[in-house]
Amino acid sequence: MNQSTRERIEQLAMKNATGRMNLIGRLLVDNRDMSLWEHDTLTLPRGARRWRRKARRFAQEHIRPLAPEADLHPHEYDPKPLLAAAAREGFQTLLAPWPLGSASLRPYLGGAALQVAVVGEELATECGGLALLLLAHNLGIVPLLLSGSLRVMVRHFIPFYLGSRVLGRPGCMAFAITEPEAGSDAEETAGGAAARLVTTAKYMPGMGGYVLNGRKCFISDGAIADKVTVYAKIEGEGIESWTCFLVEKGMKGFSVGRSERKMGQRASDASELVFDNVFVPKKNVVGRVRSGWPNNRNVLNYSRPVVGAMALGHGRGAFERCLEFCRRTNLGPRKLIEYQDVQMELADMAISLWAARSMVWQSCRQFRCYQSASASAKVFASDTAFRVCGQAMELMGDAGCLHAHGVERAWRDSRLTQIYEGTNQINRLALFEHQSGTDFMINKESLFTG
Amino acid sequence: MDKEPATDIPVGLSREELSHYADLARTFSGKSVASLFEGEHPDGDLSRLPAVLDTAFTIGLAASPDRSLPGSQYGIWGSAVDELGPAPSLLLLSVVAETCGGVAMCLHSQGVASAIALRAKGGPAPARVRLCLQEGPYPPHAGVLARPGEDAPARIETTAAEERGGYVIRGAKSFSYSMEGAGAFVVFTRAKDRWACFLAPAGQGGITVTDAGARTGLRACRLDHVAFDGVELPREARIDGGDAEELVSRALFLNWSGMSAIAVGIARGSVAAARAYASERYQGGSLIEKHPAVKMLIAGADAAARSAEAAVMALADCAIGSRGALARAAAAKLAATELAARAVTDSMQVLGGYGYMEDFGMEKRLRDVMVLRTACGPPAYLKQMFFDLTGEYAS
Repeated sequence: MNQSTRERIEQLAMKNATGRMNLIGRLLVDNRDMSLWEHDTLTLPRGARRWRRKARRFAQEHIRPLAPEADLHPHEYDPKPLLAAAAREGFQTLLAPWPLGSASLRPYLGGAALQVAVVGEELATECGGLALLLLAHNLGIVPLLLSGSLRVMVRHFIPFYLGSRVLGRPGCMAFAITEPEAGSDAEETAGGAAARLVTTAKYMPGMGGYVLNGRKCFISDGAIADKVTVYAKIEGEGIESWTCFLVEKGMKGFSVGRSERKMGQRASDASELVFDNVFVPKKNVVGRVRSGWPNNRNVLNYSRPVVGAMALGHGRGAFERCLEFCRRTNLGPRKLIEYQDVQMELADMAISLWAARSMVWQSCRQFRCYQSASASAKVFASDTAFRVCGQAMELMGDAGCLHAHGVERAWRDSRLTQIYEGTNQINRLALFEHQSGTDFMINKESLFTG
Repeated sequence: MDKEPATDIPVGLSREELSHYADLARTFSGKSVASLFEGEHPDGDLSRLPAVLDTAFTIGLAASPDRSLPGSQYGIWGSAVDELGPAPSLLLLSVVAETCGGVAMCLHSQGVASAIALRAKGGPAPARVRLCLQEGPYPPHAGVLARPGEDAPARIETTAAEERGGYVIRGAKSFSYSMEGAGAFVVFTRAKDRWACFLAPAGQGGITVTDAGARTGLRACRLDHVAFDGVELPREARIDGGDAEELVSRALFLNWSGMSAIAVGIARGSVAAARAYASERYQGGSLIEKHPAVKMLIAGADAAARSAEAAVMALADCAIGSRGALARAAAAKLAATELAARAVTDSMQVLGGYGYMEDFGMEKRLRDVMVLRTACGPPAYLKQMFFDLTGEYAS
């Protein structure tokens, strides 16, 4: 390229060419040098912006240094200091606004899950496993909130939240629905009706509570949680009798079984929980007896956008690390990032992530999360993230497969988001189910004539 | 999954001959490779790997430049490849990869290096060899094939200079796959702006091998960076006839086609595992193989695996070493690894949460197939190569 062509290109660049416009024309052009991250942040309500910035700093300071080793040797690091730091910063109490929790009130009223989703993306950008370690705790908390029970709030939720927010206790909760023979069945209506559940609760009138027996599996944070919200059917009944119980560490007969060895998100445990005649007092029944099924399904409505946000974080982490690789790696005399085909690929990744973020945030912009939006955001973001992580690895060639670059870790992490909180197939059915009375009504005529 | 070898392979091999090859690989996989997966080892019990690879040499599955070994001629990428074409080796690799992609990669990388080292004349040849071709994250581009000294886009930095009656090699090679215990390195360099190829004994002074570190998959196979810091070699160590360009093309062709075949085998293994799981697992009151969503996943995976196989086996009639063959191998790797990756990820989805756990072997298949897609020529690089090799550098 000769000098005059270079000069002409320079003149045609939007930023320089704008100078030839009149004042009003110039004012209408947004030529600010601002990252996509900052642009997106400014679209958030003020309180959520603050959490986004804070979470990015926290993730870079606390999660980034821990991530490679926690992934390679998940049983050889202590998660408690990270949990304590997150609690001190208020990340573990974002499901309620002040004075109980740490969420900002205005964005909370606009969307109860938005701030958790925003934080979730930032944490997952640095490490999927450590992000899950911190975020799965919310999953254990949500059933208490959604139970709508003042008794549960006063006895369980408020003390736990204040202990974490005010005293910085590294408390942790977990959520247990999946059973060895009921994975998808615990997350979908038709499957639930025919589910083979083994965890049962037997009412013991003389003892003032229930006795739990059975097993749950793949429970995130199961091994480290202080309390677990466990769903069990009443003995002799079906899944419609599902009731949520708050099981506490140390209860007799409650133990942690096998800890799974996973492909990714390895820094967070996925454990089997065993209930062998565990007595649970009545005060630990979360909400009404037999209200567990709708409570569980609604928990998923609130958690799925966050899973989408975490997936988005995995994709963004892979993208950012790949971008850095392209900036500093030469192919011949030029950096990789100077090649047009590389630029196209990077742009494609950024666009995909942008679309996924828009969808996740959109799904959170109502106070109550609803099934269709939550399921759609989770499916789209997780599929997008897995694809973007793959693109990042491919762009880096052989280097993409090396653990040291952190891109293949994000790729492994992202694959799980297509599976948990309902496989993406189950989530597609969830969308159809929720809209079957309107958009997907099978007898269309009644819709048009009605 | 149909266990019979493909019968439509366009080569002059009879069905019986192909069956013989496939049976040999199946016996090896069933008796030796499968033993690696007894116990909880996500990538197999690698302490048992040396014995498994020794068996591969003993039964003639592993090729070698040592002509006294049984696999030298008919092993994977053995000397008979010029006579029979690539089909037998592709078949062997895919069958072994159904059980373990990493072991298949060991045999493949040994075979590719052997195919080049067999050009060496005189002297006792080592049993195991390692190929050192790539520099940086990508293999050489088409422009560099023609002119290794030019930035087209990146010149070959490893050089061989004629000094003191022999050659002195300086430079560094990256991402070299091999099985454990290579006795010599097949090194491609630039010498007076042409390609040169040398067989360097592993113990030669100035050679430093560095483990590439923890990685995604194919972990049974070594992955190292190799530095050559003033390595002195005698004239006889040079194994090309004055220009190694054809050998570079040959190495790339074998590498891409073999890696594609391994991806096909992994995909076949994953589909078989998904079908088996779906025929035993109940959800929603019935076997999951009865659920339309699962049927779609398995059918899509199976179709993708078969399409990948067709793309790879279309290489069977290639004239190895030509530019045209290399373009076809690039296209095959591009298509086959993408299709195989799709087959594996869809198969994994059938298993739900269990698919993500190490115990079921599916996550290993996904990790392995992703490496095959990314390593030794990722998609964007292969597209560029295909374009160049069918255009500007077609002849």
